[in-house]
Amino acid sequence: MAELPSDFWTGWIATITVASLAGLGWLIYSVYFAADTHTEQDSPVWDGELREGAHPAPLWWFWLIFVSLVISVLYLMLYPGLGSHAGALRWSQGGELESSIADFESEFGVARRLAAEADIQELSQDHALMASAQRVYDRNCAVCHGYDAKGLTPYFPDLTDDAWQWGGGAEQIEQSIRDGRHAVMVGWLQVLGEDGVDQLTDYTLALSRGAAENHAGQTAWMQFCAACHGPDGAGNPLLGAPNLADGVYLYGDDIDAIRHSIAMGRNGQMPAFGERLDDTQIRLLVALLTPPTGR
Amino acid sequence: MNAVGLHRKLEENAGLLIFGILFVSAIGGLVQVLPSVMQESLVAPEAGARPYGPAELAGRDIYIREGCGTCHSQQVRPLLAEIKRYGPYSRAGESAYDRPFLWGSKRTGPDLHRVGGRYTDLWHRLHLLDPRSVVPNSIMPAYPWLGERPANVGDTIQRKMRALRMVGHPYTEAQIEGAPQALEGMMEVDALVAYLQGLGVSSDGAAP
Repeated sequence: MAELPSDFWTGWIATITVASLAGLGWLIYSVYFAADTHTEQDSPVWDGELREGAHPAPLWWFWLIFVSLVISVLYLMLYPGLGSHAGALRWSQGGELESSIADFESEFGVARRLAAEADIQELSQDHALMASAQRVYDRNCAVCHGYDAKGLTPYFPDLTDDAWQWGGGAEQIEQSIRDGRHAVMVGWLQVLGEDGVDQLTDYTLALSRGAAENHAGQTAWMQFCAACHGPDGAGNPLLGAPNLADGVYLYGDDIDAIRHSIAMGRNGQMPAFGERLDDTQIRLLVALLTPPTGR
Repeated sequence: MNAVGLHRKLEENAGLLIFGILFVSAIGGLVQVLPSVMQESLVAPEAGARPYGPAELAGRDIYIREGCGTCHSQQVRPLLAEIKRYGPYSRAGESAYDRPFLWGSKRTGPDLHRVGGRYTDLWHRLHLLDPRSVVPNSIMPAYPWLGERPANVGDTIQRKMRALRMVGHPYTEAQIEGAPQALEGMMEVDALVAYLQGLGVSSDGAAP
């Protein structure tokens, strides 16, 4: 929280505030109870009796202002209103926040720590906790990966299928959530030319059909693609290089999308959530998303 | 003298009346605004605060122009529910380079002060141009024209930076000279995304 006003400004605030309240008090006292100084000669009279100050304002109005003044004084005594004066109740915004954090900790702290250290398989069997995990997912993950976790081709990967670009084990999924991911595939158009790209596109499709043997694109594949995607196209989760032989394509399975990936490259990003979610939330998400067999 | 006497004096002397009105209306400002403005910790930039770069500055003006602040606030309040949902509460020194600040108070959509880095640039592009393409139940309007209009218009970015330098934003002459080039080829949506990605993120790139 920002620091409190200095002594000078505390004096400034207190003086003006108290003087204003006193001035208001004097004003209403004076209007209602001081002697009426209006005289006949300097105050015009209409209709024989209507003149300035002939009738006081209604008394309930006086009480309204009086009570408001009393409440103001009480408030300024109890709460921090006069500069750095803390008030009798010692209430502060920072203190309020800290006490609500402490309440949260005492109510949920133990359960949250247990969940943060629990076994992933056991967690995923706990329906109540998985309902919590679903809420964490909906709040943080669904805008990209969808409320049904099916992703959004060609932008955001499907989390319900078997294809995990960075690995589908609990540890890899946790790392993806915590640190984010950044997959860079460079474009090969400059190197290979249009024909070379076409050839590799066809080779990639042949891979997923299991018909890549003796394909003319094999030389280029071994030279340019195999280092990341593997000689058989099985990919490499350590590099985020997807499996290209399983028929699942991150950026769409039509020939144009595949060709675009090869020609122009891709730049896939997953933001890091390690700072935004706490250990319990991340653990719950991992339990929610990790496939049961730990593929 | 009582209130009636004072009343008569004010009634009969226009100069005094004007002064009295100004004095009474100034009291609130003297007590609430003046001490805050004079308080170093409220106006000094935070350690991580930095002036907006050209793209962010252009994006910020698009944010203002499109009325994003009508539905999105930029202040995480110091309440448990808010810091759990959005992240650390907003501090005054973080807004030192916001002129005017865009804290807002209306949340039809979520608070945006800690949105920087939360989503990818790609997601922001898709979402701004057509929110329902990524969030089917979103009620946010689509802003397709942001993808069609260039972010750099004449020398406005340089004039903005010069104006802000006059009120204390530490832009160097080289930064101002290079500003149009920094916006070269950017569409409005790119500038707006740059602005959003910098929100609530300190100069070292970390979320506070």
